[in-house]
Amino acid sequence: MAQTSMLAMILAGGRGSRLHELTNKVAKPAVAYGGKYRIIDFPLSNCANSGIDIVGVLTQYESVLLNSYVAAGGRWGLDTKDSGVFVLTPREKADSGLDVYRGTADAISQNIDFIDAYDPEYILVLSGDHIYKMNYDKMLSFHKEMGADATIAVRGVPMKEASRFGIMNTDDNRRIIEFEEKPEKPKSNLASMGIYIFTWKTMRKLLIEDMKNPDSSHDFGKDIIPVMLNGDKKLYAYEFSGYWKDVGTIDSLWEANMDLLDSDNELNLDDTSWKIYTEDTGVIPQYIASSAKIDGAYINQGAHVGGEVSRSVIFSNVKIAPGAKVIDSVLMPGAIVEEGATVTRALVAENIRIGKNAKVGNKKSEEILLVAKNVKGED
Amino acid sequence: MANKAFGVINSAANYIRVEGLHDYRPIGAFSFLGRFRVIDFPISNMSNSGINRIHVYLNSRPRSIVEHIGDGRHYNINSKRGNIQLLFTQNNGHSSIYNTDINAYLENLEQIERMPQDYVIVAPSYMIYKQDYQKLLDEHVAAGTDITLLYHKVDQAKEYYRACNVVTLNKQKGVQSLERNMGTAKEKLISMDTYVMSKEIFIDLIKKAKRESSAYSLADMIALACETLDVRGYQHKGFFAAITSLDDYYRANMEMLDYATAMDFFTNDWPFYTKTTDACPTQYFHGASVTNSMVCNAGLIEGTVENSIIGRNVHIGKGAVVRNSIILSYADIGDGVYIENAVVDKWVEAKKIKKIVSESVTPTYVKRNDKL
Repeated sequence: MAQTSMLAMILAGGRGSRLHELTNKVAKPAVAYGGKYRIIDFPLSNCANSGIDIVGVLTQYESVLLNSYVAAGGRWGLDTKDSGVFVLTPREKADSGLDVYRGTADAISQNIDFIDAYDPEYILVLSGDHIYKMNYDKMLSFHKEMGADATIAVRGVPMKEASRFGIMNTDDNRRIIEFEEKPEKPKSNLASMGIYIFTWKTMRKLLIEDMKNPDSSHDFGKDIIPVMLNGDKKLYAYEFSGYWKDVGTIDSLWEANMDLLDSDNELNLDDTSWKIYTEDTGVIPQYIASSAKIDGAYINQGAHVGGEVSRSVIFSNVKIAPGAKVIDSVLMPGAIVEEGATVTRALVAENIRIGKNAKVGNKKSEEILLVAKNVKGED
Repeated sequence: MANKAFGVINSAANYIRVEGLHDYRPIGAFSFLGRFRVIDFPISNMSNSGINRIHVYLNSRPRSIVEHIGDGRHYNINSKRGNIQLLFTQNNGHSSIYNTDINAYLENLEQIERMPQDYVIVAPSYMIYKQDYQKLLDEHVAAGTDITLLYHKVDQAKEYYRACNVVTLNKQKGVQSLERNMGTAKEKLISMDTYVMSKEIFIDLIKKAKRESSAYSLADMIALACETLDVRGYQHKGFFAAITSLDDYYRANMEMLDYATAMDFFTNDWPFYTKTTDACPTQYFHGASVTNSMVCNAGLIEGTVENSIIGRNVHIGKGAVVRNSIILSYADIGDGVYIENAVVDKWVEAKKIKKIVSESVTPTYVKRNDKL
């Protein structure tokens, strides 16, 4: 089911500054999630599972780790003769200097040559920092069926929250008649997910025009979509109803991890027909010691549990010493909790050590504590 | 000196049978700790030692090994300079006396003769150990011997290692004899069926074997060669398991539940590679109780697990108890089922029978795909 007619472009340039120290050294799409994954595994695996062969990943902010991570396309099965994952960073061109990506649309515009090389009929534009499982091939069928110039994936949000989103107002045939960014009085509850399919011929023209427009901020939502609506192009809303999360803050990242503890969690990562692929590390299975006590947890291979864990997500190479307690927390890869230490309602960053008898986090705090620096032990 | 040797990974001799598990796959394809396969260990040892041309000999039921090894990329072998060749033998009945390693080498002699390396390292696919073969090769070359043989000193040769060969050494570590372990004493030097020699001697032994006996193995030929060639022993230290019976298999897995043993064996500087299945993490529900166990990914644990190895995608139901057992991938242990001292093969569904217990030392074996 090779989908050679559609090429995917993943926007992965953002810093995600509301994730604070977590994104000091890595871009948001490379942030760890769900015991073993990085956020960008989701769009990449979705592409692979949807039969999309060529994926461009547009990176900019702190991209060294992200670039090397996504370049190994084999992890997602995107390494056959006709497939590949391509890292596209801003570059110097013959006719212009080195420009950073000025906006989501500009990132695509600056890579028109890359897209042209594959001569696709459609392009899929995705965000690199959302957690969800989606079959883009079905969305493409919808796009074709409607004869659309653009199809935007939307999801129903509670009406009272709709004013926080970009809202699509549609007619009875799902054709988008109006787009409102964070409307005070929303007319519908269909929020844009930042997932677009464009008919490439149409979009190519629009992007070239947009590049020349000095008043444009070169953004799909702010500039391109309004131009399309005003220009009488055919835009359709494709409704998606599964699990979807934009993990923009420490609280929402923690929450998205905690969602995995529900026995009937919607993301359903153990569905073998739609696996999320990721880097594999040659580690041993999770080692649960005699002193361990586990009461509700999501634990990855390579974790060593000697202490007590309740309602927590434990990534690979995490070590929880005997006598340590981890409650309502997320421990990212390589985090170490030493003897007698207690971690409560916290998100512990990669390779952080919580020293002996240290207490971090508070059961009653409203916000989740981000622990991004080693915590000294106490005797 | 990397690449001065090519590797040969050999399957177990035809008289080695592991009850149950062996009916479905060769020993190299047995699961170890629910995550690895036994053959991952010799291949990783070779890869880590800089050996990037490897012959893997397959005789009966090759499907699972072929699937697992694939193009060998996950073993970190340079895809252009190196390769893993899977070599089949055509003329074998799987329990026939003619199904020897020598016959496999003879059928593929052309491949062996074409190898550009001067030396060969032969290692078995039914043993688990860690060894730097480069070091072994260096010692072999420096000593100027004809054949170097890896051995391990054990103190349970009466109960275990019964299908292995034992080595007797003189004071200079010269091998005086190599013969089947008859269980006559506790302390023995067990041959690890791992040899270093020149390609020339290797080919010579293969060709000579045909004249000696059609049922001879390479080990038999080396035993004979002790009289005429300089065969030396090289002692291996650290974890060593020979999977030659269900008892051995069970014990090898269980030994890894000792944290110190596991940490000594699995170190960052000597990774053991395996093929990923992209399984998600394991979910422990409220009410689950897991102690002193190794648990693989994509598990759903609702019950109690003690001193056990739980493979991938295993479900342990509510109120179920798994004790001192090995549960292989995709097994479904129903609510309230009690399992003790058992090896439960893949895809087993244990629901109707509420108690599966072996009273003897030997664990009970539950067949692949069985519904109980």
